Amino acid sequence: MRSPRKVDARSKINGSHKFIDDYIFPDMIYGYLYYARCHHGYIRKITFPEEFDLKNFIIIDYKDIPGRNIVPEPEPDQPFLVENEVYHYGQIIMGIAHPNKAILKQFVEKIEIEYEELTALTDIKECLEDESNAFGREIIIDQRQSLEPRSEWIKTSAVYYTAHQEQAYLETQGMIAIYNQDQRSIYVLGTMQCPYFVKEAVEMIMGDKITEVVIETAEGIGGAFGGKEDFPNILAGVASLLAYKAEKPVKIVLERSDDIVITTKRHPSRVEIETYTDPVTNKIRKLKIDYRLDAGGYLTLSPVVLSRGVLHSFGGYNIRDVFIHGRLLRSNTPSNGAFRGFGAPQAFFAIESHIDKIAGDLKIDPLELRMKNILQKDDRMPTTQIIREDHILDCLNRVIEKSDYKQKYIEFQEYNQHHDNKKGIGISICFHGGGYTGNGEKVLQSKVKMTIEKDAAVNIYVANTDMGQGAHTTLAQMVSETLDHPLNKTRVVIPNTSKTPNSGPTVASRTIYIIGNLLCDLSLQIKKEIQGNLDEYVRSHNTLFPKEYSRCFTPDPTVVFDDKTYLGTGYKDYSWAACVCEVFYQTSIFKLDLKKIWTVLDIGIPVNPKIAEGQVEGGLLQAMGYALTEYFYKPDFGRMHGFTDYILPTTLDTPEMDIEFIHTDSDFAKGLGEIPMNYPAPAIRNAFHHATGIFIDEIPLTPERIYENIKGKS
Amino acid sequence: MKISFNINGRNVKLDVDPMRRLLDVLRDDLELTDIKESCGEGECGACTIILDDKPVTSCILNAVHADGKKILTANGISKTRIGEILLDCFDQTNSVQCGFCFPGFYVTAYHYLITDGEPSLEKIRYALSGNICRCTGYKKIFESVIMACERLQEGS
Amino acid sequence: MKFIKPSSLPDLFDRLQNYEGRKFFLAGGSDINIQIKNRMIRDEPIFYINHLDELRGIQVVDDTVIIGALTSYADIISSPILKEKLPFFRNSLKLFASPLLQSVATIGGNIANSSPTADILPLLLVLDAEVRLLTRSKLRFIPINEFYTGYKEYVMKTNEIIGSVHINIDAEKNWLAYYRKVGSRQSLTIAKLALAGIMKLKENSITAIKIAAGALNEYPRRLTTTENYLKSKRKEDIADKELKEVLTEDITPITDLRSDKNYRFDVCLNLIKEFINSY
Repeated sequence: MRSPRKVDARSKINGSHKFIDDYIFPDMIYGYLYYARCHHGYIRKITFPEEFDLKNFIIIDYKDIPGRNIVPEPEPDQPFLVENEVYHYGQIIMGIAHPNKAILKQFVEKIEIEYEELTALTDIKECLEDESNAFGREIIIDQRQSLEPRSEWIKTSAVYYTAHQEQAYLETQGMIAIYNQDQRSIYVLGTMQCPYFVKEAVEMIMGDKITEVVIETAEGIGGAFGGKEDFPNILAGVASLLAYKAEKPVKIVLERSDDIVITTKRHPSRVEIETYTDPVTNKIRKLKIDYRLDAGGYLTLSPVVLSRGVLHSFGGYNIRDVFIHGRLLRSNTPSNGAFRGFGAPQAFFAIESHIDKIAGDLKIDPLELRMKNILQKDDRMPTTQIIREDHILDCLNRVIEKSDYKQKYIEFQEYNQHHDNKKGIGISICFHGGGYTGNGEKVLQSKVKMTIEKDAAVNIYVANTDMGQGAHTTLAQMVSETLDHPLNKTRVVIPNTSKTPNSGPTVASRTIYIIGNLLCDLSLQIKKEIQGNLDEYVRSHNTLFPKEYSRCFTPDPTVVFDDKTYLGTGYKDYSWAACVCEVFYQTSIFKLDLKKIWTVLDIGIPVNPKIAEGQVEGGLLQAMGYALTEYFYKPDFGRMHGFTDYILPTTLDTPEMDIEFIHTDSDFAKGLGEIPMNYPAPAIRNAFHHATGIFIDEIPLTPERIYENIKGKS
Repeated sequence: MKISFNINGRNVKLDVDPMRRLLDVLRDDLELTDIKESCGEGECGACTIILDDKPVTSCILNAVHADGKKILTANGISKTRIGEILLDCFDQTNSVQCGFCFPGFYVTAYHYLITDGEPSLEKIRYALSGNICRCTGYKKIFESVIMACERLQEGS
Repeated sequence: MKFIKPSSLPDLFDRLQNYEGRKFFLAGGSDINIQIKNRMIRDEPIFYINHLDELRGIQVVDDTVIIGALTSYADIISSPILKEKLPFFRNSLKLFASPLLQSVATIGGNIANSSPTADILPLLLVLDAEVRLLTRSKLRFIPINEFYTGYKEYVMKTNEIIGSVHINIDAEKNWLAYYRKVGSRQSLTIAKLALAGIMKLKENSITAIKIAAGALNEYPRRLTTTENYLKSKRKEDIADKELKEVLTEDITPITDLRSDKNYRFDVCLNLIKEFINSY
């Protein structure tokens, strides 16, 4: 395993790498997404400021849409532009463009809209508590056995809550759309995860006014984390329509204060868990989970988030008698969407917190309870999928050993008896299914393409974007190593739908696991054909080149999943992980800090170990923010407006990190992107319990929340 | 208002609204896109430049602040000897992810190297505490700057 | 918005005569530009003063450390004078905002902006700093303790500007000092509350004490009732309940996006105890 340098690092450091806002086209004008400042209501009147000449502005609303006013992916239920009823704050009403950025800004600030306000549901808990807000999507996994709980079994029940989390990619959303009148085509350049979703969106909004849509990603994508999975569809749609009407290139780049308000967040959740545990064997005998997500105003991605959430909700345990009910609820807030982990962080916060709660009820070390119930080789998940490896146990054993957990568990208890400030240590274990859920990859049928040029340069064409995760370096490395061809002659071409096949969206930890492995298969096929050194082969068979190769994903026929019962193989391969968190709690200010985190992961082969480590380090810090400081909405005070209010960890807040990959001698690379986000939060919460003896079932564990909890109980 | 300043060694004269954000003047008028805008309120450091020997966020400065001053940006730094060493260290550790915050980190870290340069994790964490990165968890950024400090010490 | 760049300090005063109403002074820019962005400043005249170098710099005159209004936090922190004469004050400033903002934010700007959360004010309050106000022909000294009169209100008149901040060279000498800023994170954070205190102890008795808090009132203030209660008390005679009662007289915390009033109150109480018990 080698860690070649990233292909794009130097230009990113010296600032010459181009992000969407760095592109300029001749005659380009600037666009703005005008959004609702109303939670729920009808638009009664729009007044434009009189001091501006409207002739100089391009203004579009839903009536200007030549195609259909519906965003096609992922769930076609959201309009591009409000027709009459505003369903949530931040919903886009109009697109407005002008050649001068400053004038555009002055103009949009003075637009006034009168609304007839309707009752709005904006409070997260109010939404999540009330079943009547159900959005009509439910998932049930029913594996109840007929056994009645025995009287000696210990019942443990609790409700766990998580808050919104903002992706906070450093580069805000942005697109440039260019309309070509002669060819009746639209070209969109932008920052995005899923070029083919964007293509569909532009085709949908433009209807028969255009004959061709080409989507290309900017050279650099400044972070995404799921936040650029679905919002770019709307943004590209509106930008395209503005460009069509203006007959000029239109650039829309959101300001942070708009981006944070109108784009998708991680779903707030309410997860209720009830278990029965046999106090003699310490085996969990029955598990019941009610998993709820606040979807926000429209479904969009929520059904798939729910699906992944449910399929991770039972945690890494061998429990036979299980009933899981997953549902979505609707509120008048911006639609929640994709964010690294995709329903799993909420699930693991609940189940991993609950395990410690059971241990508390049984008065045993939470490690012991985990050891008794952990999924082992040949155990069955509640979905009936049989697990063929012991790797989650290996992760746990290794992390316990290297963190000196057992020693610290006792030492800290001793320390805490004599000190005002407290130390604590907590565990969590976790898995993450790679790729699309259930039959998703079967439906996607991803296709990859490679060309070998006359000079033996290998060009890789995949629709998966490099948003910072290093995908284009890692994919090139996989091909280069398989073909035994120099990395500097192997590169991934910036995705462009006119030449890049649809290899699916850049989501679900699938880029290396599905696409990378598919490229390896294709490379093996090529290798077989050339029988030796590629350079030499190209030289001696030069007339054959340039040559194009492609390959489609072939689903494993043994992988079967039933979308109705939710039984079967939820994911063909899982990545596994465990962590130990050490915390320090300052009693005088009720503040919890993460001091150190040890984590051990099985992600198969870490193709580029340094890139892989970087993914874990970043994910862990996001998870720490999720656990301790990040929330977007405060009852009675509304939402955060920028980076002053939304509290991201700084260099001074960063804990020590100890990361190790195990089972790296595996046959292939598994999913990595999301898993580090899934599990630190409950370990931090469990460590807080170890430090203070207090269970708090809600994150973030802000000082104010800890304070309320302590005061409320005293 | 007419203002003039030196940027990355080049003298510039401009006639601008003195209250325009310095960031906009640099990005839009001079097309220096190595300076990035992220939060727009001085809270993330993506737009960091060195203005008369101090690292500052250009989104909370105005054009007038640059008048008669010397400015250094990521691009200018990358052409210096120390800048090249630092760049190589960032590159070698694979610390860069999305890279949007990186020109800012690069500028701040460069300032640390030329004003202090001690390979101390504690000092480096403090020096970089006005720059936010959402991708990396900072760990490899710290390692890179420590590595650059050490290389400079060895070299001198 | 009208932009005015005076050629000199006297020119500034000349021009100020024509602007009686609301106006702003642009120094480092870290506060003003946020207010412009948030539309709290719209069409008001803006006087650029950052180039008036006579308002910048640190010097010692007799028994006073004089810090020019335009001196940046970075300059204060790196000043050998401050390091030697007022190390507690100087070290506390390192927690402010972030190193990048410290490069531009000025002490005068921080005082004039009169934010209830301004990090520096509790320190200036316990150190009995004075603000020197200038007009064309007159100057006067206002103790920082008497500078503010309400939320973003102060005694400074519309024709005055802040010239410098004056701190006695012995302001922290022989005092036991304490400063703690409580924020959501370690850097780039606006205080939920901040507490500064200095005291003198003689055999466990508090012989003198000054405490000031930020973010707990409409403007940072000395906690005089609490000070009076603590003065001449033996440490072991301080009763929790009594302390809590007197503190109620001194602070009126609120709930906002950043924190909650009950939390703020109880943490303030804890910090006062922590201050006293740390010596």
